[in-house]
Amino acid sequence: MLNLLEGVLKAVRTGIIVLDAGQRIVFWNDWMAQHSRMEARHVLGRTFGEVFPEMIDGRTHIAVESALRNNFASLLSQTLNKAPFPLYANPADTASDIRIQQAVHVMPLDVASRGRHCLVQITDVSMAVARERKLREMAVELESQTLVDGLTGIANRRRFDLHLEDEFRRAKRNATPVSLVMIDVDYFKDFNDNYGHQRGDDCLIRIGSALSGMLNRARDLVARYGGEEFTVVLPDTDKDGALQVAEAMRAAVEALAIEHAYSGVARHVTISLGVSTLVPELSTTTGSLIHAADRALYQAKRAGRNCVAVYLDGRLR
Amino acid sequence: MFQLTELQHDALVEIFNIGVGQAAAAMSRIVSEEVTMSVPEIAFQSRAEVAHTLGAREGRRICAVAQQFSGAFNTEAFLMFPEEKSLEIVRLMVGQSLSLEELSEMEQEAMSEIGNIILNSCMATLANASGKELQGSLPMYRIGTGNDILGESGKQWDGVVMTLKIDFNIERHHIYGYVAFLLDLPALHDLTQYIDSYLAGVTG
Repeated sequence: MLNLLEGVLKAVRTGIIVLDAGQRIVFWNDWMAQHSRMEARHVLGRTFGEVFPEMIDGRTHIAVESALRNNFASLLSQTLNKAPFPLYANPADTASDIRIQQAVHVMPLDVASRGRHCLVQITDVSMAVARERKLREMAVELESQTLVDGLTGIANRRRFDLHLEDEFRRAKRNATPVSLVMIDVDYFKDFNDNYGHQRGDDCLIRIGSALSGMLNRARDLVARYGGEEFTVVLPDTDKDGALQVAEAMRAAVEALAIEHAYSGVARHVTISLGVSTLVPELSTTTGSLIHAADRALYQAKRAGRNCVAVYLDGRLR
Repeated sequence: MFQLTELQHDALVEIFNIGVGQAAAAMSRIVSEEVTMSVPEIAFQSRAEVAHTLGAREGRRICAVAQQFSGAFNTEAFLMFPEEKSLEIVRLMVGQSLSLEELSEMEQEAMSEIGNIILNSCMATLANASGKELQGSLPMYRIGTGNDILGESGKQWDGVVMTLKIDFNIERHHIYGYVAFLLDLPALHDLTQYIDSYLAGVTG
């Protein structure tokens, strides 16, 4: 009967590891051998830390300790723990280090007369992950239809808010800079008053499309902030990079050569731009980045418009 | 309804605050952002009262993670959030602002893990304080009204529900949830004993 049970456990199409009270591996099934490329005879008798040195003191290891010491079971979800075990579907994935997506269950196991053990069960959830990615893509596509500015066809204010939140969080985690450009069309009220709202709308559409034409990275975003204001989110971009983009945008709008006989700075439509950059810390909010870009924009207007100003560490340049 | 003395109440609040503090530290490590949690209050209520607090009468949907504990004392423990709050927590933890109306399969599993971390931490400090062993099961994800989850409509039951209000903070979002323990009379008796011996240890 015991042989039968062991045979079944070995053959099960899910990963099974059993550890004794000293965290030594006492059982390692065929699925584990196949996907870890480590045969049972090479791991039996060795400790968890010896076999998986990179996992020492990680979530899984702590869960094993908690099962052996406290008698508690733990679940490690794929979403919150990116593939903890070095397990691979096939040799090609091993070579490119693409791990099987895993859900891990760690359970205490009382073995009669041999004391407490710990059962680690690893399930391949790659299929479910792929299904959800597809679902997410479809949801994003649906959502994008309500995140577009009705007039210009570029991102609207809501999309901007969501995107900036996401990028800000990412920048926080990776300690990378994120830049923001605030843009205002110079003397736009005079344009509207003299040429009419129809031409005003056309002007905004052309500016929106000129601005988006300047971006080519997937996570860069230009959005209509409101009225004649636009904004640009530039993740992983430092001050110099953001300045270059802003200056290119200023030149691009000038090159549209939309006639504006009532402008105070030129004979055609121009824009003023304010740039801010920061590497967000734990307590920094998106509000401070927006505020800094607003200040810089104000400075650009005071400096005579049709130019770029940068906000830097509380100072304007 | 069952009541603790003021001293016992404070001791229990202290024990659970240590527990959720450790859970918050574990969650901070997962998301590499600051997560804080505290237990401002503990109450003892009947199942019907708890279900009512959770909006069962209005049909409000609650998202729960349940675990069984046995040994030092026997209880079924739940972490509960209104459904929309659970969406908020999981998405803050996972870091995606996507607005499907229900938790997906993978998100449900993430929610189960969050519940698992919080419930295990609470019970570990309690077991520590009691000096006794506890055994914990794997978490189960459930969704329904407070009545569905606490099993009001099920068999006759003479126990009480110990509820902890949990104040959960991540990225300046403040979210309230509840941890509930179903305690029958023997469990309640064991619990008071552990609190008393904990107090004796602290003061003696």
